[in-house]
Amino acid sequence: MKHKTFVVVLAAVGILLAGVAETGAQTKASDMAVIVNPSTPVSDLSLAEVRKVFRGDRQYWTKDVPVVLLIRAPQSRERSVILKTLYGMSESQFKQYWIAKIFRAEATTAPKIVYSNDMATELISVIPGAIAFIPQSDVKDGLKVLKIDGHMPGEPGYPLK
Amino acid sequence: MRFVFSLIVVIACNFCSNAQTTPGGYSESDVRALVERINKLEKRVAELEGKDSSSAASVQVTEGQAPSQAPAQPSATVPLATAPANKPPGQHDMEAMHQQVASEAESFPSLKIRGFADVDFAANDQPNTRSGFTLGQFVLHFASRLSNKISYFAEVSLTAQPSLYNVDLERSIIRYDVNDALKISFGRYHTPINYWNTAFHHGAWLQTTINRPDMIRFGGTFEPVHFLGAQAEGNIPSGALNLGYNLGIGNGRGSILSRAGDNGDVNNNRAWLVNLYSRPTKFRKLQVGGSYYNDEISLNTIGGVLPEGPASREWIAAGHLVWTGETPEFLAEFANVHHRSILTGHGFDSQGGYAQIAYRLPFWEKKWKPYYRYDYVQVPAGEPFFFTVDNVRGSTLGMRYDISDFAAFKTEYRNGRAAPNSPVRANGVVLQTAFTF
Repeated sequence: MKHKTFVVVLAAVGILLAGVAETGAQTKASDMAVIVNPSTPVSDLSLAEVRKVFRGDRQYWTKDVPVVLLIRAPQSRERSVILKTLYGMSESQFKQYWIAKIFRAEATTAPKIVYSNDMATELISVIPGAIAFIPQSDVKDGLKVLKIDGHMPGEPGYPLK
Repeated sequence: MRFVFSLIVVIACNFCSNAQTTPGGYSESDVRALVERINKLEKRVAELEGKDSSSAASVQVTEGQAPSQAPAQPSATVPLATAPANKPPGQHDMEAMHQQVASEAESFPSLKIRGFADVDFAANDQPNTRSGFTLGQFVLHFASRLSNKISYFAEVSLTAQPSLYNVDLERSIIRYDVNDALKISFGRYHTPINYWNTAFHHGAWLQTTINRPDMIRFGGTFEPVHFLGAQAEGNIPSGALNLGYNLGIGNGRGSILSRAGDNGDVNNNRAWLVNLYSRPTKFRKLQVGGSYYNDEISLNTIGGVLPEGPASREWIAAGHLVWTGETPEFLAEFANVHHRSILTGHGFDSQGGYAQIAYRLPFWEKKWKPYYRYDYVQVPAGEPFFFTVDNVRGSTLGMRYDISDFAAFKTEYRNGRAAPNSPVRANGVVLQTAFTF
């Protein structure tokens, strides 16, 4: 009887540990990669520079290549992360921010909305100067991923999670 | 044994509940409902695509008959018509969306229009005054990219007058972007020596309060609201200071002091301005800046500004400190306007400013934002140009309620002088609903 109890408890502990391991794996995969069109002449930006780009304060990569912002539609996790870490704004404040920015003639368009990470990936490859934010796990071969503060996604110290 | 059985039941229940719950916290029934909804939507898309392909085919025929009239830019219907028929339902839509976004990034001109409007109600406690509704400004804003480096912006306002609507071209700016550090533009601007004037323009919904500060109110003369000429602006490479600038040269004030010289300079003397500001990297919501404005203005015997009247130099020094967050929001500006007669050398200094604080309340869905502003304007006796400017010591207390992301109710109590330089104080209440569309 004792042996059976031991087996059952062991199984329970195993299941719990498996659950914890799975959660850990999900956390590790949750870094947000900043991807750009392969022709974009940058490979490393500081977090402050990424903020300037996404806030529309830096609008050109070079004098002939404008920045084209691609941002996921509302309710997506990618958008929540970007609003929290780069803008420090709620959804309402974000909308108002871009309306005001265009109204002040500081920008002509708000970021373009993408409805999936696949869509972001495909548009990145065809629009010169495009930049987007996707989970590290969705990064495919051939995409140009930027280092942020000298770190690639998944490395310790990477700031966009 | 009972203990073992209970443990198994608890673990099994836990395991099942985990299995039925997605990482996002959705239950199995939620997922099933979503799958059903997706199936319905896919069916609907397939039906619509069936209809669209026939209409798109007819469009293709029309375009083929008159190729010279075919639109130069790709439209959403083109990918639908040209997509292979053997693709699964839903993929057509996604491809159309991809092409639309991709083409938007390259198609010019790309005109975008946005509107602002408001409806107000005002009342005060002074005898022989009337309360009532007023239609605020109806404002249309146009932004269009003409190429990757050229943009056009315009703002048109319609303001109710006793017998008609006054239509005004508030801004009309064409801008050439050399790079982030140098953007050159020409046109009619809101003079960038006052933060409020350039941050909110005529969009009542954008500003927290109902009324503008007295120092920069519409139709006021304390600071020039508009500026016609050329401007250079951009970022200054400055690391964490994150500096920006505006340099402008233009006609300066017109023959009516409150207006820019839209149809030419009244005194053949250009006004110029410089504005320098910092948005420090460390304090993302902070902006601090200062401006200088110089012009020559003239005065004739009937009080209008005409070339043949006695002339004065006008120097305006202004500064602002702004925290653009909402918990709290803080705006403060101050300006000194110096007029010195060229003939006599006699000078006058007038000051104006305000400090406004607001705070988005953390409860009630964060829709409420109370605010307070103190306005100050001081014009010395005998000032020859500001005879219509009131000396102001006024307090404004109000509450903004955001009905949605694009519409708000505001209510405001104001205490100030009943009439220019009058010792009598008046109390007024204003209500407004302001929105963008």
